[in-house]
Amino acid sequence: MSTGRDNRMLRPLAVAALVLGILAPFGGSPYRARHGAIDVAALAHTVAREEDHVTALELAQWIKDRRPGLRVLDVRSAEEYAAFHIPQAEHMPLDSLTAIAFRADETLVLYSEGGTHAAQAWVFLRALGNRNVYFLRGGLYEWLEQVMNPTLADTSAGGRAAFAHAAVLSRYFGGVPRSDLHIRPSDDDAIRLPKRGDSTQSAVPLPKHPVADRLLQVRRRGC
Amino acid sequence: MSAPFFELGYFGDGTGLLVALVIGVAFGWCLESAGLGSARKLAAQFYLTDLTVFKVMFSAVITAMLGVFWLGRLGVLDLSRVYVPETYLLPQLIGGLVFGAGFAIGGLCPGTSCVAAVTGRLDGVALVLGMWSGVLATGLGFPALQGFYESTPRGALTLPQALHLPYGVVVSLVVLAALGGFRAAEWLEARPRAALAANHSESRATSRSLAGGVQA
Repeated sequence: MSTGRDNRMLRPLAVAALVLGILAPFGGSPYRARHGAIDVAALAHTVAREEDHVTALELAQWIKDRRPGLRVLDVRSAEEYAAFHIPQAEHMPLDSLTAIAFRADETLVLYSEGGTHAAQAWVFLRALGNRNVYFLRGGLYEWLEQVMNPTLADTSAGGRAAFAHAAVLSRYFGGVPRSDLHIRPSDDDAIRLPKRGDSTQSAVPLPKHPVADRLLQVRRRGC
Repeated sequence: MSAPFFELGYFGDGTGLLVALVIGVAFGWCLESAGLGSARKLAAQFYLTDLTVFKVMFSAVITAMLGVFWLGRLGVLDLSRVYVPETYLLPQLIGGLVFGAGFAIGGLCPGTSCVAAVTGRLDGVALVLGMWSGVLATGLGFPALQGFYESTPRGALTLPQALHLPYGVVVSLVVLAALGGFRAAEWLEARPRAALAANHSESRATSRSLAGGVQA
């Protein structure tokens, strides 16, 4: 039970907590204002080591694996985002990107149509102190080409294995993997692909994925 | 100069550990001062007769929360650099149940068991040894546990994100909940004593009347 002396101390503390608590909703965000500083040498080093970007297949694998803390940010316009976006991507236009306080443990992947705007956004976020930031190297075009419509172009063993891996990811995202090359079928050379049914992949090019056409409709800047 | 000092590079590992030690000792001193080194006091929490644990811990929560919010707002603390542990729903739910069971059985939680051990209580020493053994066993068996340990990940969730409310609104709600909780705790603590006092006076009156009857 509290003594009288304790009660005398408790009341002002409770009042102080109440006042600070009631004022909190009117106090704004506790995250500090965004003032960036660029460590040019560090950024150049990161770029030189190609640690600034991810490929479309790497990003697809991260999304499929539900990588903890992953946030995929689409920096294009709202119309472009509405027309097509990478699954789980959040719309985050360039001009509002720098107002967001990202947590240190989040992994951010930025993308635009071609990659230029995403690369610029990458510089902004790195300047603001975010460390786990990457951009999709070839933008949405790379995503459509490598994830939604992967094509077998290299018939070596390594190439076939890479295509099989891409095909798994492609189907996960509803894509259509294609083996366009006419390959002489044999037991050893048969392309082992994960299949939806029992049908082998057609040597005849399949129709383009509908999202590609939709994307082309909204293509304006090419960046 | 702004916080967090270690994250922003003002502290090295050695200084960071030293500061952690000082803060840890101060925390232990506060726990002991509040009487939380006693298993009887902690066990009383579960019988709703002494809610000191609830009041001390919730006071610490709102003090830290208000400090973090307003220091962040004043620009002294860079909140984006404060580490938020990740949420793994199922393993943490199970862990919470195991923790609660251990708390109820032993009468002490990890922090208070250290305080109890340092003040010479044998139950505290036994719990600290048990805790270390558990940590060691978990560490050694981690490869087998890893799948479960990392299941149902939800990322580094905070209340404002989970509730989709502005940070300040959540702060306000938690403070109001705490103050309401403190008032309810005081009421719960006072109730058994009032009932006890009523029973006591009733039994004395009965004894007196019985004694009167005998004399008559």
